[in-house]
Amino acid sequence: MKGSTILSIAMVAGLVAVGAHVHAQSDGTDIPRTASGRPDFQGHWSSATVTPFTRPRNLGDKEFFTEEEFAEYEAGRLVENETQPNTAGDAHYVLSDFGLHNSQNTRAATLRTSIITYPSDGQLPPTTPEADAIAAERRAYDQEHAYDSASNRPMTERCIMWGHNGAPMLPAGDNSNNQIVQSDDHFVFIQEMMQEPRIVPLTGLDPLTPAIQQWYGSSRGEWDGDTLVIETSNFTGLTNRNITPSGKVTERFSMIDYGTILYQFTVDDPNTWTDTWSGEYTLTRVEGPMFEYACHEGNYGLANILSGIRAEEAAGER
Amino acid sequence: MIGMKRIHVIAALGMLSLAAVAARAHHAFATEFDAERPLELQGVVSRVEMINPHSWIHIDVTGDDGETSTWMIEGGSPNALYRRGITKESVPIGAELYVFGYQARDGGQRIVGRTITFADGSALFFSGTAIPDDAAE
Repeated sequence: MKGSTILSIAMVAGLVAVGAHVHAQSDGTDIPRTASGRPDFQGHWSSATVTPFTRPRNLGDKEFFTEEEFAEYEAGRLVENETQPNTAGDAHYVLSDFGLHNSQNTRAATLRTSIITYPSDGQLPPTTPEADAIAAERRAYDQEHAYDSASNRPMTERCIMWGHNGAPMLPAGDNSNNQIVQSDDHFVFIQEMMQEPRIVPLTGLDPLTPAIQQWYGSSRGEWDGDTLVIETSNFTGLTNRNITPSGKVTERFSMIDYGTILYQFTVDDPNTWTDTWSGEYTLTRVEGPMFEYACHEGNYGLANILSGIRAEEAAGER
Repeated sequence: MIGMKRIHVIAALGMLSLAAVAARAHHAFATEFDAERPLELQGVVSRVEMINPHSWIHIDVTGDDGETSTWMIEGGSPNALYRRGITKESVPIGAELYVFGYQARDGGQRIVGRTITFADGSALFFSGTAIPDDAAE
């Protein structure tokens, strides 16, 4: 069967990258370089992984799986979850039918038990009372007004931004593909979903004034030897990442070999969290191109969601 | 010759051996579709929209009363399909499809295409049971 054949080929390609341990830092001799001698990060990169963002609680402070443990853990993650018919969880297409299941992706190679590396328990630090109060206020507002208009809907539905969009850049649930374009004085990072390019100058440009806030923040980069270091600030505090305008994200990109980038990040926002938090995962080189996402062009879902609610209101069901 | 098309509410539970995980998606499906309105449709492809964030396939469905109406089927992001060699031409106009899904909350003629197969039972894109046994190796 044609569809199954294509899927199997994709799977074989995907498994190549899985199972290796965390990498030794490159000595810099076996990585591609630009004409000016900098590591050449350009290309297409998958951030797909089965590694969870936060560590499963039962693993405590265990930072790495053994290879046997990982095999067992991954097997569990590569099976589509059962849902019960006629439930909200079941009202969803079968992911593997549409090539969206993680088992069909080229996946990052790591034995880490969580993307979060600090705090040492692999969990996000506690949020501040101020952040809790803001979150509670938002929840209360949403309870009454979440369906009032398109502008009240989550940013994913509005095709503005996903939770995984950087900084920090996190793996997406599907289509977890990235493109890096670089020159001597700029980097551009494109995540396939939502495909908003993040342009990072390496020109010593002053940070933006705090009065200017952007969904993706404002980034400035510099080299630390062969490692690209990016600091991003000027966040809005309005995304589901909850990084406030005074928060800062530091990212480090280190090329391990031709096919692997070690991506590390630290989030420092005392308005939201009582401590900093850090994480890392690997980006795996994949064949391009990326495909245009163009979310707004076909976003029937937003209108459909609101029309559903209006119909239920008209029927007295809400 | 196209066989008789049908629309009917599925009464039996547990008809699917492989269910989907409600993973990260462009929207929560239950905000757009009604889990209490499961439907199976059989119809003929009249239009294919390979657009993000979700693909849409339009099929003409003839009811028991002989009336034909067009239904829209929401599917996954076409990016992943394209990446694996599935294009708009993979869903030919005139092809007969069988769709199981859930109808839109507003009662409109839209359903989420939870599983889509050709009328003979073969998978339209990838078989839902095609995750290889060696996936964990």
